[in-house]
Amino acid sequence: MNFRTLISIVALAVIMTACNHPTIPTNAQQESRLPRIYPDYTEVTIPCNICPLNFAVQEGESEVVAKFTYPGGENLYGEEQNVLIDEEDWQNMLKASIGKSIQVEVYTKKGNDWKAFKPFNIYVAEDSIDSYISYRVIQPSYVAYERLSINQRNLTNFEEREIYNNMSVSTEETGQCINCHSYQNFKTDNMLFHMRQGFGGTMLVVNGELRKIDLKTDETLSAGVYPAWHPTKNLIAFSTNKTGQSFHTKDLNKIEVQDTESDLILYDVDKNEVSIISELDDELEVFPTWSPDGKKLYFCSAHFIYKNDSISKETEMIQRYKEVKYNLYCADFNPDTKEFSNVEMIYNAADSLNQSVTLPRVSPDGRYLLFAQAEFGCFHVWHADADIYMMDLKTMQVQKMDAVNSPRSESYPTWSSNGRWIMVDSRRDDGNYTRPYIAYFDKQGKAHKPFAVPQKDPNFYTFFLRSFNRPEFMVEPVTITPQTFTKKAKEEAVKAKFVQ
Amino acid sequence: MKNLKYIYLFAFIAAAFLLLPVMNGDYLYTIQDNSIFISGHTFMMDTVQHAGGWITWVACYLTQLFYYPWFGSTILILLWVAIYWITIWMFGISNKFSFLALIVPLLLLYHLLDYGYWIYYAKAPAFPFVPTLTILFCLLFTWGILFLTRNLKISWRWKGLLALGLLGIILVIINWLSPSSPWRFNYNYRHSIMTTLTDKNFRHEMRMYRALDEFRFDDVLKEMPSANEKAPTNLMVMYKNIALMHTGRLTDMFKTNNCGINPFKNDSLPFYTSQLGAPLIYYQFGQINYAYRWAMENAVVYGQSFRNLKMMVRCAIFNQEFDVAMKYIAMLKSSIYYRDWAREREAWMANSTNFIQHKEFQTIAPLLGEDINMLDEDEGHCEKYILDHFSDLRHATSPLLEDVIMCLSLWTEDGYAFCIHFYDYVQNHPNQPIPELYQQGALLYGNNPDAPITIRNFKFDTVVSEKYNRFAEDYNELSQQKLDTQEMAKRMKPAYGDTYWWYYYFYTDFTIY
Repeated sequence: MNFRTLISIVALAVIMTACNHPTIPTNAQQESRLPRIYPDYTEVTIPCNICPLNFAVQEGESEVVAKFTYPGGENLYGEEQNVLIDEEDWQNMLKASIGKSIQVEVYTKKGNDWKAFKPFNIYVAEDSIDSYISYRVIQPSYVAYERLSINQRNLTNFEEREIYNNMSVSTEETGQCINCHSYQNFKTDNMLFHMRQGFGGTMLVVNGELRKIDLKTDETLSAGVYPAWHPTKNLIAFSTNKTGQSFHTKDLNKIEVQDTESDLILYDVDKNEVSIISELDDELEVFPTWSPDGKKLYFCSAHFIYKNDSISKETEMIQRYKEVKYNLYCADFNPDTKEFSNVEMIYNAADSLNQSVTLPRVSPDGRYLLFAQAEFGCFHVWHADADIYMMDLKTMQVQKMDAVNSPRSESYPTWSSNGRWIMVDSRRDDGNYTRPYIAYFDKQGKAHKPFAVPQKDPNFYTFFLRSFNRPEFMVEPVTITPQTFTKKAKEEAVKAKFVQ
Repeated sequence: MKNLKYIYLFAFIAAAFLLLPVMNGDYLYTIQDNSIFISGHTFMMDTVQHAGGWITWVACYLTQLFYYPWFGSTILILLWVAIYWITIWMFGISNKFSFLALIVPLLLLYHLLDYGYWIYYAKAPAFPFVPTLTILFCLLFTWGILFLTRNLKISWRWKGLLALGLLGIILVIINWLSPSSPWRFNYNYRHSIMTTLTDKNFRHEMRMYRALDEFRFDDVLKEMPSANEKAPTNLMVMYKNIALMHTGRLTDMFKTNNCGINPFKNDSLPFYTSQLGAPLIYYQFGQINYAYRWAMENAVVYGQSFRNLKMMVRCAIFNQEFDVAMKYIAMLKSSIYYRDWAREREAWMANSTNFIQHKEFQTIAPLLGEDINMLDEDEGHCEKYILDHFSDLRHATSPLLEDVIMCLSLWTEDGYAFCIHFYDYVQNHPNQPIPELYQQGALLYGNNPDAPITIRNFKFDTVVSEKYNRFAEDYNELSQQKLDTQEMAKRMKPAYGDTYWWYYYFYTDFTIY
């Protein structure tokens, strides 16, 4: 055999390997159940512009083939235990299936025997989803923090990019924690996020211009914590909080995050002024959110009276942590005069249900209000009993979102800009790590089974040891570079002024 | 001599083997235990997205080989040999001056040994291999440039400058491509080589930790120095007492050198038990949530490690959080040396009987106590929390827990709590002999006018009460001689060094760290 022949054989073998497409087994034994796949994409409804739903088959088998049947054709995929879908194929499948479904048949092989599982459908909605989401990537840590970032993810493909990473400015001595981020009307030319400790301050993007503001004033409890950008004005409602943590010795919820004090403030971006919205002594006000027309502010508040002067508020809060229960309130707001009026409790969860409401978010059409509810407290990401509920603001009826919830924690609900998609932070996978799940919300006001934000590697969530916190939809990416944010973060923050 | 360069090299290899696997095998094992390498796309992408990530990824792979210190050392020394030869070749170093080519390998050896206690605090992943691989990369790069420019008629110096310039440009580009996590030369000033090479307690601690981690309690006790040797660290005392606890000999705690000292310290490193061993200590005391917490906290700050992952698996299994346990097990199954450990735990979840019958469960379960949850905080002080927590417990649900409550209230010198526990103990064990240690405690604290119990009605063993009387007489006599406490402790140690009284009056170095 000469050298040329050898090269030809090797080249042919490489080509043959590359062309080794999966084939449908002819003699598979039929199973009456659905296959165990991860992430679970069985019978989900997806947007018509989402990236491929790659998944792993967890049947303990050696080989997998998945047949995707859609109007106009069928495709086969399978690489060991994974089903990795070609992006171009997927776009074609989606286009052909809008308003219809893609049927998936999974075959697995063990030894020489094949099994065929009950097929499942992936329904393709006519509604698209916002192209971007952003979230804070953080370990489900207790007190310590080190590396964390706010990332943005393109949902139409697998591209993910950091918006800001605390390691770019922090060192051992001046470690920095990144807190909540927020956008005005799902757009990124008006946005913010907050940084604590080293180089602390609130990073504010106003009409594309970057500012660093110190929102802590002598008259307020803290800098701005949970933000909500007014939909039409350059105004931001924040909560201010004195927050502490303590740890369960046996309870699997493990951590309790409590506010010993909290108020609401309004920040006027144009005037750089902070004013008080609410600072009642016996109330813990938190989680402000605006109605889409900007004429109402929804927020949560817990009535809590400290009874024991001989111990610190922190100690008493730890002793009575189960008594802290938040109700849902609404206040009228005049955007022209910036005056709040008619504060009204619209959902009495504490007294009537012995429950605690947090994180309200109003749908873009103003009809529905989502929130997270659990037995007590304000930090439901650590409460396994936390579920998503929805209030119909027309009828004021509240219903539990059974389709969206799981036996584990669901929190931080949010709406897409067209109101057809709900995103929640869920710990359904393992109880400890939060993953963003998206559910279709149809025109009849019915939520459908949620699905995990797809990843290129279907085992990504298994091997990734950080949580995705506070997921938010965006209609466009953040274009300010991490370097620009870093440069600004190192500058002195401009002090906000307090006004009565 | 013609073979000088070989002689230098073999001398270096011999010294390196002596200083690494022969003398410091435990050190290398502990380094790998605190490192991580997970096969697969996610870990790789998470590592390589940072500047210098590919070198770090390879270094992470190689660091795990220190599981067998001889194997990992051999690989590392081979890389140093490569650096030596390339340096000689590149710089055309003569046989006579070939020792100069050993400067870099010697510095790398020094760098590895200079960590001491920093091995628990080093945030740079895979630090044993990263500098070596980086230098090797730079040398090979320069070598490549010299090779490619061999036909150019420019001087050797210009070629060297060209190589350095290109290397610099590459570094700047990599740094620019990783804007959010740029290189930072954050070198912690260390002086720890003496700790690594000479501090016996440092080695004892590492061996005790490993033995405790593997539930080899007798091996933990073998590591305790005798009373005539250097005093153990407080952490060693804690490890020793855990081993005594799990072998039913906790009442021997004051007979077995319970007087710890702070670790030997020759640099600015602050010591915290929470980083050195808190997850394992909490786990061994059945404080599962706190063990998990500190494994997580340490993983967050100092990077994920096999040590932390294993602890998180154990805690998740104990808490019956099987889904998250499977997540960590999946990672460990993809490692080279922990896959069998992970598979064993996976089997436990499939069949809980195996777990319940396993030594690990049987050892820890009696300490779980009543299923009462508390919201609490240890403020980073693991030992203090353990001592206070068990001293304050009122209900023992097992004989082991009963002993722990008694002994830890003595250890923490909480006489009031001890008296109450002693009363309960006597009530719960009528007509049974009372361990000598408890009698010693009762004689000491029960004579206090503020004691919540009166000991007049208790029947103490004559031997114990007489010994206590003699102790009191001797103590008063030496006090009257106006001897300082150290001298008194020294004189009374032969007769009373194994008693709780001696510990109570003369040991004052117990420090929370």
